[in-house]
Amino acid sequence: MNTASQQQHAQPILSAHGIVNRFGKQEVHDKISLDIVSGEIIGIAGGSGSGKSVLLKTLTGLHKPNAGKVLLDGKKVETLGQAEKASLIGVLFQQGALFSSLSVAQNIMLPIREHTDLPPEDQEKIAAMKLELSGMPADSGIKFPAELSGGMIKRAAFARALALDPRILFLDEPTSDLDPLTASGIDELIVKLNHSLGITVVIITHDLTTLFTICGRIAVLVDKKIVVGTLEKLMQSDQPWIHEFLHGPRAQGAMTARKRSHGNG
Amino acid sequence: MQRASADPSSSSIAISGDGDQSVLEGALNIRTLATARKSLQQWRKQHKSRALDLGKLSGLDTPGALFLCELRNKGVELTSIRTEHKALLDLICGLDLKPLPRPKTVPRWREIIIELGKGAHEAWHDTLDIITFVGKAASATGHALMHPLHLRVASISRHISETGIHALPIVGLMAIMIAVVIGYQGVAQLRPYGGEDFTINLIAVSVLREMGVLITAIMVAGRSGSAFTAEIGVMKAREEIDALEVAGIEPMEVLVVPRLIALVITLPLLTFFSDMMGLLGGAVISHSLLGVSPVQYIERIHQAVDGSDLFVGLFKAPIFAFFIGIIGCMHGLRVRGSSESVGRETTRAVVKSIFLVIVLDALFSVLFEKLGL
Repeated sequence: MNTASQQQHAQPILSAHGIVNRFGKQEVHDKISLDIVSGEIIGIAGGSGSGKSVLLKTLTGLHKPNAGKVLLDGKKVETLGQAEKASLIGVLFQQGALFSSLSVAQNIMLPIREHTDLPPEDQEKIAAMKLELSGMPADSGIKFPAELSGGMIKRAAFARALALDPRILFLDEPTSDLDPLTASGIDELIVKLNHSLGITVVIITHDLTTLFTICGRIAVLVDKKIVVGTLEKLMQSDQPWIHEFLHGPRAQGAMTARKRSHGNG
Repeated sequence: MQRASADPSSSSIAISGDGDQSVLEGALNIRTLATARKSLQQWRKQHKSRALDLGKLSGLDTPGALFLCELRNKGVELTSIRTEHKALLDLICGLDLKPLPRPKTVPRWREIIIELGKGAHEAWHDTLDIITFVGKAASATGHALMHPLHLRVASISRHISETGIHALPIVGLMAIMIAVVIGYQGVAQLRPYGGEDFTINLIAVSVLREMGVLITAIMVAGRSGSAFTAEIGVMKAREEIDALEVAGIEPMEVLVVPRLIALVITLPLLTFFSDMMGLLGGAVISHSLLGVSPVQYIERIHQAVDGSDLFVGLFKAPIFAFFIGIIGCMHGLRVRGSSESVGRETTRAVVKSIFLVIVLDALFSVLFEKLGL
């Protein structure tokens, strides 16, 4: 993969240092540090309750950590202006979080309308392009989120997250609740966007196939700490949870998928 | 792989060159797109040139690429495309772009007629629904009363506490306020005729017959009717109602009947409390405006009203309670799928139950007048 060569010259587009998150007496993250390099696809995995979603909220500046700092493109995340942040990051929320009172096209146009002064025709053209890019037919633009299936909601939310061509795309469980075919479609979409737009992608997922086939590096949250590495490196880890996670019965299938996709690619 | 999308720091675009070859310089992204389009229009008017050099383009994002693809389709030749831009251009130009479909527009007058028809249709179905639901709820309640084992006493008492005891402070306060308002208006209107003493009669009669029960019913509709809809609606949205049915438990029996019984017990009691607080408010206002002592006030109350006034007010309470409960529960069970429909149904339930309370009150006024009560 090309991640190794990137790491040598590229400076991190996102770096988190010493993140501590506590809820009451329960500590979720204990001085976590993570550097994400421009152009890579990194997967964040971990058991239920290991604080994956909290980490996502911390990295995107939605949650203020008890200690530590997050730098996006060299600037502290809390000091970023609204427009600057919107053009820097895009987030695909787990349930899509499409605005239910707006049609799909209006959902995509909303950030464009807020942050640029393009005429409505251009906004519509861009929205149609984003829909097409996310694999949605243009006719679905007038549909409302309530009329969409689970896979369609994810794709529409993808299109909205891409509205301002963000440099980093955060995906919170993009393939959960989807049937395997739709899930592989989403995986392909992620790779396509990463290759052609050069978007850095951060995926939070349980889906071993996604982790094994498209992620250049994997970060595993375990025991309040984070372990980052390529799949090969993590496979050799003797940390019990990571070992179990990567060598369990489900991992075998994902490994087959990896061999197949990497063989073809 | 190099980054193809625009660097946000570069936010300028310029077009230069003369004659055949023009050069696009800077970043072509969503922010500079409007400027680029304008200057390119001028350029295309001035020159017959058909080639655009992209070698100095520092940044390109998807809207920029879309714009370039449009130019290419219009016959402009794009030259010296950088390698990092090529993949993006190929991707965007390769998309099969269709315009967004327009939602069908209907002329205003037709829209009004359609809305009217829809409204009438909905009102008719609403009425049918309420009648059906009243029947179902009455039969379930009857069944529960006949078979005390099916009566959920714990649930009833919890709802009595929530709809009744917790509502005491606000209902009492509102009753006092209403008595104060009636008192002030009465004194102001009756003083020119020297009849300001009749303000006490006015307060006593209007509080006991109308205001006490009406204010309480409206308060309960807003407070508990909405809570019924929201509680049952959330259960419905989370498939808890289906889970009950699968477990062989009748949702009507465990969710609707206890709420109805609780509200029918609570509202008359709350109304009585509200009546008393209203009279107390009347005593305060009479003392401060008319100088009537509490003992005199009680004597005057005895002359002004009798049991029938109190009865007329209290008689209406359980009927209002029944309808508030019915509408609250019915709208809760009407929730479909998403959580936004919980909010919509809650609003509808409150509006409908307050409306129904006032309509029923008006009917009762006419009825009691005819009966001479």
